Amino acid sequence: MTETESWANVNLRQVGRPLARSDAPGKAAGRTRYAGDYTMPNMLHAKVLRSPEASARLRRIDVSKARALPGVACVLTAADLPDRKASTDIPGQTGKKKLATDQQVLVKERVRYHGEPLALVAAETQTIAERAAELIDFELEPLPGVYDPFEAMKPGAPIVTAPDNVVGQHKVRKGDIAKGFAEADEIIENTFRTQFIEHAFLEPEVGLAWVDENDVINIRVATQVIEHFRPIAEAVGVPHNKVRILGALVGGGFGGKEDVTVEIYLALLAQATGRPVRLAYTREDSMFGHGKRHPFVITHRTGFTNDGRITAVKVTITADSGAYVFLSPYVLLYATVAAPGPYRVDNVHVDAVAAATNNMFTSAFRGFGAAQACVAHEAQMDEAAKALGIDRMELRRRNFLRTGDKLVTGHPIESAVWSDECMIKAWEALGERTPDAGPVKVGRGVATYQQSYGRITWLHDTSEAWVGVEVDGSVVVRSGVTDIGAGQVSALGQIAAELLGVGLDDVTIYNSDSAVTPLAGTTTATRGLYMTGNAVRLAAEAIRGRFLARAAREFGVEPGEVDLAESKAFLVDRPDTSMAFKDLVALCASEGVHRSELVMFRAPFTGQIDPETGQGRVHPDYAYGAHAVEVAVDTETGEVTVLKSVGAHDVGQAINPDAVAGQIEGGAAMGQGYALSEELCYEEGRLTTPSFSEYLIPTAMDVPRYQSIILESRSGLGPFGAKGIGEPALTPVAPAIANAVADAIGVRVFDLPITPEKIVMALRRAEAAE
Amino acid sequence: MFAEFDLVMPSGLDEALDILAEAGGDGGLDVLPLAGGTNLVVDLRARRVSADKLVGLGRIAALRGIERSNGRVAIGAGTTLSDILRDPGMAEAAPSLVESARVFAGQMVRNTATVAGNVCCGSPAADTVPPLLSLDAELTLTGRDGSRVVPLADFFLGYQKDQRRPDELVTKIAWDAPKPNSANLFYKLARRKGDAITVVGIAVTVAAEAGKCTTARIALGAVAPVVKRAREAEAMLEGEALTPELIEVAARQAVEESSPIDDVRASADYRRHSVHALTRRLLTQAWDPATVGG
Repeated sequence: MTETESWANVNLRQVGRPLARSDAPGKAAGRTRYAGDYTMPNMLHAKVLRSPEASARLRRIDVSKARALPGVACVLTAADLPDRKASTDIPGQTGKKKLATDQQVLVKERVRYHGEPLALVAAETQTIAERAAELIDFELEPLPGVYDPFEAMKPGAPIVTAPDNVVGQHKVRKGDIAKGFAEADEIIENTFRTQFIEHAFLEPEVGLAWVDENDVINIRVATQVIEHFRPIAEAVGVPHNKVRILGALVGGGFGGKEDVTVEIYLALLAQATGRPVRLAYTREDSMFGHGKRHPFVITHRTGFTNDGRITAVKVTITADSGAYVFLSPYVLLYATVAAPGPYRVDNVHVDAVAAATNNMFTSAFRGFGAAQACVAHEAQMDEAAKALGIDRMELRRRNFLRTGDKLVTGHPIESAVWSDECMIKAWEALGERTPDAGPVKVGRGVATYQQSYGRITWLHDTSEAWVGVEVDGSVVVRSGVTDIGAGQVSALGQIAAELLGVGLDDVTIYNSDSAVTPLAGTTTATRGLYMTGNAVRLAAEAIRGRFLARAAREFGVEPGEVDLAESKAFLVDRPDTSMAFKDLVALCASEGVHRSELVMFRAPFTGQIDPETGQGRVHPDYAYGAHAVEVAVDTETGEVTVLKSVGAHDVGQAINPDAVAGQIEGGAAMGQGYALSEELCYEEGRLTTPSFSEYLIPTAMDVPRYQSIILESRSGLGPFGAKGIGEPALTPVAPAIANAVADAIGVRVFDLPITPEKIVMALRRAEAAE
Repeated sequence: MFAEFDLVMPSGLDEALDILAEAGGDGGLDVLPLAGGTNLVVDLRARRVSADKLVGLGRIAALRGIERSNGRVAIGAGTTLSDILRDPGMAEAAPSLVESARVFAGQMVRNTATVAGNVCCGSPAADTVPPLLSLDAELTLTGRDGSRVVPLADFFLGYQKDQRRPDELVTKIAWDAPKPNSANLFYKLARRKGDAITVVGIAVTVAAEAGKCTTARIALGAVAPVVKRAREAEAMLEGEALTPELIEVAARQAVEESSPIDDVRASADYRRHSVHALTRRLLTQAWDPATVGG
């Protein structure tokens, strides 16, 4: 890309170094103020009353006792909100709304999932709000529900989303699938099931809203997406410019704060009462308060020649969308594109469908469909390797996409493909193999992946940023970006510091405020660094160019002979000839040289893919890498211990290697939970695992010392050749663990999570079969 | 999320017992003793339990402390799981209890949860109970009118039912330290290693003399309404040399004496499988000549 040319001559001084992140001191000292730490005088406390049924008709709701309770300021039901709808506009989009995505804000008549909100309460104290919620008298008439996507698509099934419960469908048709399978010597077909999982961020959803003197509804909220002011405004019936979203540093997102959570409730209550209102979810509220990862059923049929070349792939995907559409069609699309894996396949056939049920709704979750697809395609590679008698890594190597190849959608890959390099590094880092010990068998597994970074190209993604230099030489960056804990803000500081030749401490960043920071787009889709980093880079480069020109005039040379570093402007060939950056800035200021820049970075804009063949461009670009693990399996009890866990990823260019390692380690832990212990269980739509006592994320006692290996192809579309690491860090982990367990015990568990019980049952079945 | 109650923090045992006795007298107030609170406070906040008043036991010095004399070990009811782990003599005095403390919840809970509280919460998955059963522990129950000693094996009457009257406190737990030539082991099987509720917990004691097992204890956790001993399996072992065949038979008998249920953590079928596998494993480890003297 031409945009990457301008930095080619920059000798990197700040970027690529493990600097202490700008958010680190506050977090380490406990000074950071999260959204839940803000209060206001005269503030009310809110509570959401939720349906205990998954499928029902609301026959009656009587809030008179709740309203009469002293200290209650406001109780709202659907009757108070005629025609209010919460639309799932794709976050940050500029207007095109999908069909049939609207959700009732509060149940009017039909309850579609366990936990669907029935009423909102605001009271003087939290205790009063809770009591008032308990005083609301309602009657639900249970209705037949549907709790399985296959059942939901059968004729006569209860309809959750009209007309037929099908909420998303995607296809790939490439090559000749029949010919491909005819050429195969070995065909491997398996069906894989993945489970509902919870994002389990440390900070449950929380926000504080107030209406100001300009009738603007201000909402300070833990969110990944400040651009939600648009659907919020539409839901509460005001123009877009009458809602302002202020973020704060966010205690984890992972996709779970990508949709609107508490904002509309807060806006409605603040509007109704004219007072500030705070709503803080408990952990249990949070389990009901945001969409989950889609459970998938994936049937994967792969044809191989005897020498290990893939001849054909046929994949069928069925996803449970739960009670509302949310981002299901997009999650499904990601899965469709990722379905064959990071491999060259000429003959591909993918059919993917998402169906509505009366389960909890499902939406964005780190990995966004590609993670589920990876569970299937990487298990297939190991099963094929076993059947063909070829080494697992060699089989992958014979099929990897290589730099310059085309994707399954026919679009050429824009950047380097370093799957093999990453796989080798990850595997080698496992070191010496731990020996078996009696019934405890040791196994190893590796998984590779293809994960997009940047949003779907026909969503026409943009990101704006403002960079300015104060007269004393200090730097200000304004970007709407939300920082969900990965160092999104600090990375922007490093980029600005690099290009202006100052220290990270010299940069102050204002972020996450829809009123004063340029809209940067969402912190989702592994797009944060790619999009906002490029916007800040472009803005800083523009200022840099003007400063270099002015310094060159001062030195009597050409601009190309001047550089900025260590708060100085100096001659590249004679660094002793220099002037202090602040003096240069003062000179520019006195002469009216423009010291700030507002820019918009645009991702590639395309039209939609062909719906019948899936051909066309879907994403700007993709990341590749690998994860390798060693596990010990107690074959008597089925317990799994992860002994070693290594992620090796081509991130293009690490802006801050420590922050990248943080992502890789976090992904390794999250993927371990996905593989082994985490599962939201629904019985007839009712959640039976509503707390961290039943929903088991890995603890410090469960994880090994994770290892991170960063490769830098400098080929990505992000700033300085960066790709992204947010989602890639997670995607290969669960399949690598599944492959390691299968390697240890000789049989495979096809359904996640791989619990001790499933391992024991699989071993028992294998024994019985012998 | 919110519960309202009065909290009193008496500094003497008598004062605490008076409060409990008086509450029983007027018939109106629900008064509960509060030890570490790691179960009770959670249950109160979730409104699974309600109370008008809690009697906090944390300031009562008489309930603290670990004593050992003439092979007898006694821990005060205020002894926390972390106290068990920090006590240098406990590894010899109660190996299975130390192991259960090691795998008990997480560090923060271990610092405040008490062994007596774990016993009194009545959960069949309580981790310290199988070890204490395997050690033939006895509880001292104290009320305003005096104390009585109840074997732990007789303490539980049914699911979350025990012999403690509302006006009594468990004040002491005592047992004989394992003899030489014996082994005392515990294994916690759970869905993860930290902060997990036990799926199956098993403790065994095996003492031997002249190549024969003189005492056998097998305590089964989380596989019946109460933690219980597999007495018939124990009886099969006493007086015998523990051959692999006999261990297998006893492990199968232990399964017969369990009555697990399906729940969100595991199926009854898997629990039976694990009772068998772990009983066999622990008995085999216990019969190691290095420990029991072959």
